[in-house]
Amino acid sequence: MIPVLFGLRLGRWGMIGFAAAAFLSILAQTAGFYQIAGNSPSARAAFGASMSALAAQFVALFPTPIRPDTVGGFVEFRGIHPLGILLCVWALVSATGFARGDEERGIVEASLATPTSRAALVASRAAAFTIAIAVASLAACAGYLAGLAIGHETAELRGVLEDGVLLVALGLACYALSIFVAQLVPGRAATAAAGGLLLGLFLLNSLSRVLQSLVAWRWLSPFRYYDLSQPLPPGGTFDARGFLILVAIAVVGTAAAALAFTRRDLGSSLIPFPARHRPVSFAPSANTLWRVPVVRGVYERRLGIVAWSAGMSLLAFMFVLLTRTIVNVLLSVPSLLPYLSVFVHQQIYPAVLGYTWLNVAQLLFAALAITHVARWSAEDVDGRLEMTLSQPFPRAAVVVERMAVLTVIALVVSAISGTVLFVQSHIQGIDLNAGRLAAASLMLVPFALVFAGAGAVLAAVNPRAAVGLLGAFAFASYLDIELATIFRLPLWLQDLSAFKLFGTPLLTGVDGRSLALMVLLAMLGLGSSILLMQKRDVGR
Amino acid sequence: MLPEMAAAAIRTSKLTKDYGAGRGVFDLDLQVSAQEVFGYLGPNGAGKTTTIRLLMGMIRPTGGSAYIFGLDCARDAVDVKRRVGYIPGDVPQFGSLTGSEVVTYLGGMRGGVDPRRVRSLCERFELDLGRRFREYSSGNKQKLAIVLAFMHQPDLLILDEPTSGLDPLNRQEFYTLLRETRDHGATVFLSSHILSEVEHICDRVGIIRDGRLVHIAELDEATAPNLEEIFLSYFSESRTKPKLLRS
Repeated sequence: MIPVLFGLRLGRWGMIGFAAAAFLSILAQTAGFYQIAGNSPSARAAFGASMSALAAQFVALFPTPIRPDTVGGFVEFRGIHPLGILLCVWALVSATGFARGDEERGIVEASLATPTSRAALVASRAAAFTIAIAVASLAACAGYLAGLAIGHETAELRGVLEDGVLLVALGLACYALSIFVAQLVPGRAATAAAGGLLLGLFLLNSLSRVLQSLVAWRWLSPFRYYDLSQPLPPGGTFDARGFLILVAIAVVGTAAAALAFTRRDLGSSLIPFPARHRPVSFAPSANTLWRVPVVRGVYERRLGIVAWSAGMSLLAFMFVLLTRTIVNVLLSVPSLLPYLSVFVHQQIYPAVLGYTWLNVAQLLFAALAITHVARWSAEDVDGRLEMTLSQPFPRAAVVVERMAVLTVIALVVSAISGTVLFVQSHIQGIDLNAGRLAAASLMLVPFALVFAGAGAVLAAVNPRAAVGLLGAFAFASYLDIELATIFRLPLWLQDLSAFKLFGTPLLTGVDGRSLALMVLLAMLGLGSSILLMQKRDVGR
Repeated sequence: MLPEMAAAAIRTSKLTKDYGAGRGVFDLDLQVSAQEVFGYLGPNGAGKTTTIRLLMGMIRPTGGSAYIFGLDCARDAVDVKRRVGYIPGDVPQFGSLTGSEVVTYLGGMRGGVDPRRVRSLCERFELDLGRRFREYSSGNKQKLAIVLAFMHQPDLLILDEPTSGLDPLNRQEFYTLLRETRDHGATVFLSSHILSEVEHICDRVGIIRDGRLVHIAELDEATAPNLEEIFLSYFSESRTKPKLLRS
């Protein structure tokens, strides 16, 4: 029991944060439904049709909703499915954090110095995560019920609970797969390998909705078994077999991870990777890139830049491929034609591509900024910042260089992925305005800097909590734009969200006011973090 | 620079860092002369690292002042660090960077370092700079910290438990390096809780207890007091009292 409690203690902020996020997001979506769906049957039918149109654009990400004209169908589509993805990311980070992060910090070694077997340690952490994700799922259910109470509706408790246990099962399946993969590869590659596997399995299932050739393989993906159920809407389903398969993946995956852990050395991977031979050297590196400010930071992250650029380019490539399919789906629904008539004779392809691709790109660039803030925090906690400041290097320069490095990296990634998007669109015969695409891609840079500015402030105030708080800020910013129309939020409040300020540059061009506001927010963050950095204490 | 402080390598006046609940450093008055090797002794949690971080400008004093070569440690932190070499209490983590990359990276922040000096130090401690930092043993990480502190031949070395993790041979090598550095005109301020080490290499020693400097002693060979006796006179009391009470 004590190892389970210890696991919960280590992950308590994750549990609190995700539970709060689950409760608030589901509550907001549920309560928001009553604000925008109307009360008459005809209004709700029209709303359902518009939601179906929206869902068709995201068919490569989320399953087609059942009865989006009802609160259950709407929340299942807008709230529960995105939450499922969020919980899978949490499972990934939590699993690899235990499997390799705790190992690097010596926590695993200290735990194994007690009379605890390796299998028991894995089982205890899996149990701790089960409790944590169950709490978060219950919070989501509570958010739904609270939202229903606002709309003076009631729900069948069974459907709500079925959704809760589905989220738990999906999260545990992802946790088990991640923890298993983390045993196989070197520690520094664990998160990337497990993340790559989960992303691959997610795309295998979601793309099988539009690419017939993948249908035969989607049984391999745990997301397929999650998709089989949509218990919230009237007439929805709970597929018990799919649920049991998810549980089986979780149990078998955890057992396999425990077995792999017993068969490898601490600090090593189960699959041996030959170490590169390096000749003995007593000389400092002759590479001058390490001496040039900003360049040294970019050079140090070169592998990350390659990975981000390749990943974003691949996604851009796929989104272009899917655009024609999505547009065909949209045009094949007669009830949607009135909604699309504005676009059909004008810019439907840029509209769809801009909506789908740039929405995903914004989320990814927010994630890029968060990963950089995580690195700044780590430099603080592991003593590297202290070592930097023991050189004749001003604190302000540290902050400015960090932001400059992120600016360069964001520029590179946005330029490469934007170029791939343009070339692939051209090949597919989708006529994109090159100037607007360039502007839209470049807008991702100040967009990322808004989050980096906020992150720099948080890292200067409390480096240990910076990533969690910035994640919450990004989530709130996303909710801000999502809920702005639902709750008719004041304009000044909407303008605090970078997601809102980003606008629709591919369709309507860059809005100068929004760009200026984004730059202002980023500069405000930079200036504040410089001032805070001057005043703060540094050191572990 | 304040002229009256020019002679002192380190000078603090009523230096205080109060973390609350009696933790921190309080009213520290200390002066370390140029070319002196000053040992800073105290048990765990006495305030040694806090003092060192105050001198390095990493943390801000809640009261008093600290000067290095007449420069204010907080206000003139950048200028101070041009003249200081520093070994932190916990070796920082540089992940997958190789030792040679770490040296060039941090050396670049100083406008570059003499590669011959780096080579000489690395050969002396048999530190292979071609390996990744995360592959280093704790002893090798400490050797890298030593190289980083000494590579630019600073006027003042501020060292927080510098021999932690070193084997006896490398520890002796470090003592020799320290003496040579002092003979070339540098000042050394080092914290330790190894009495024999301090006795072996220091000219003077300051003892800190509960954040307050309680004793300063010369360690001249002819008149050297028994450091262990001094140390125990300050610290054994608090540990034996409960035993006496129990008996």
